[in-house]
Amino acid sequence: MIKLTKYIIVWVIALCQTISTAQNCNVFLYQKDTLQYEACLIAEDAYQYYQYSREYQEILDKAIEKCPHFSYAYLNKSTAYLKSGDFITWKYLIDKAVEYNFRENIGYRGWCKFQFFRDYQGAIDDIESLEAVSKGNIGYSAGGHYHLKVAKALCYKQLGDVNKAISIMEEYMADTTLQVSVFDHLHLGAMYLETGIYEKAITQLNLQTVQNDLAENQYYLALCHQKMGNDSLFTEHITKAKEIYLRSQKMVFHYTEPIDRVYLEEINQALIGNEKD
Amino acid sequence: MTESCQHPSVPKDSKYLSMVGDIAPDPKLDDPSFTLCDEKNTKQYHNLNEEMQYEGEKYALDQTFASQFKADPTIKDSGMIRIRFIVNCKGETGRFRLISSGYDYKEKQFDKAITDQLMTITKSLKGWKILSNKRGPKDYYQYLTFKITDGQIKEIMP
Repeated sequence: MIKLTKYIIVWVIALCQTISTAQNCNVFLYQKDTLQYEACLIAEDAYQYYQYSREYQEILDKAIEKCPHFSYAYLNKSTAYLKSGDFITWKYLIDKAVEYNFRENIGYRGWCKFQFFRDYQGAIDDIESLEAVSKGNIGYSAGGHYHLKVAKALCYKQLGDVNKAISIMEEYMADTTLQVSVFDHLHLGAMYLETGIYEKAITQLNLQTVQNDLAENQYYLALCHQKMGNDSLFTEHITKAKEIYLRSQKMVFHYTEPIDRVYLEEINQALIGNEKD
Repeated sequence: MTESCQHPSVPKDSKYLSMVGDIAPDPKLDDPSFTLCDEKNTKQYHNLNEEMQYEGEKYALDQTFASQFKADPTIKDSGMIRIRFIVNCKGETGRFRLISSGYDYKEKQFDKAITDQLMTITKSLKGWKILSNKRGPKDYYQYLTFKITDGQIKEIMP
């Protein structure tokens, strides 16, 4: 029941983030910010169009013309450039969004740098800037699959500082006010495996199995047992990894490939390697 | 912001293409035999599947670049290079366009020894899957972004 509640909370957060692409303009009215209120009303017309479309971009331009510091328009204009891989235009627009509303947009920019451009140091800088001004929870990624602390830990891992990554993850997991998300145990398990702490890796990967079993956690479990010299458990887990991979029970992100993703060929090679031994 | 001539349906006074990232055919750059099923309805890869679809998955794509790209040790360029192109309804590719920046996300030209190789290898890729929606196979935009450090490929995205 607790796990189910956690899932519901994570997905409600994701849903809220999706819904939040449309802003409540009255917020600006309450703040007596007439200019942003009027820009917001103009921007509302854009949401009937696809975010890649000329109409969407032009309407948001009109909102910016009305209020040049309306960060929300820059943020929404940036999305199509992000998804189409135009990092130059995306960065120009998202920087404007951050300039005019730092607190709301800096974490999102950091997440995008990580997810779309594998800009690990850039992501760390943004997330740590957010932490510096935040008193409480710094929040989740766009989509809600990752807490930004986990994203930061993955960036440190990718930069080669796995011990720091583990330290961030352990602190995050120990904080009972934060929700463990759908891939967190897997990532921490993979970090322990990378540093040769196999018992802890197995504990985390088994937790992942219970929470959200994927080909990836079975694959990393197999590698742990292989390193520990347990051939039968290696075979059991690598066989299961392939079985559930072929059922598409694997890590999938929208738009990009996730960190710690395992491919079918890697599973096959592990199986062949074991048969040769 | 514009990387090719405008779509015919776009008003002349608009600075935007019909869709962000659209690539109109250019006889000076493109193979004339490359055609689309539906010129006005090209999808994005993420409209048709959550992630990119390549034969042998991204693993195979990474292996291809790892084996075919030859880094020149005298070239120390760093930054990002994106090659965007269309996979048509038959699984053929065309209309390749390239942008590049430093790691500061500011536009920057790379040594041609790097960009020409990346373009040649990208054009030679044959594993792009045909993607469909309820109405059948569709043309779609795909891109590859290369992180280059000191002239070497560090990562390939998306």
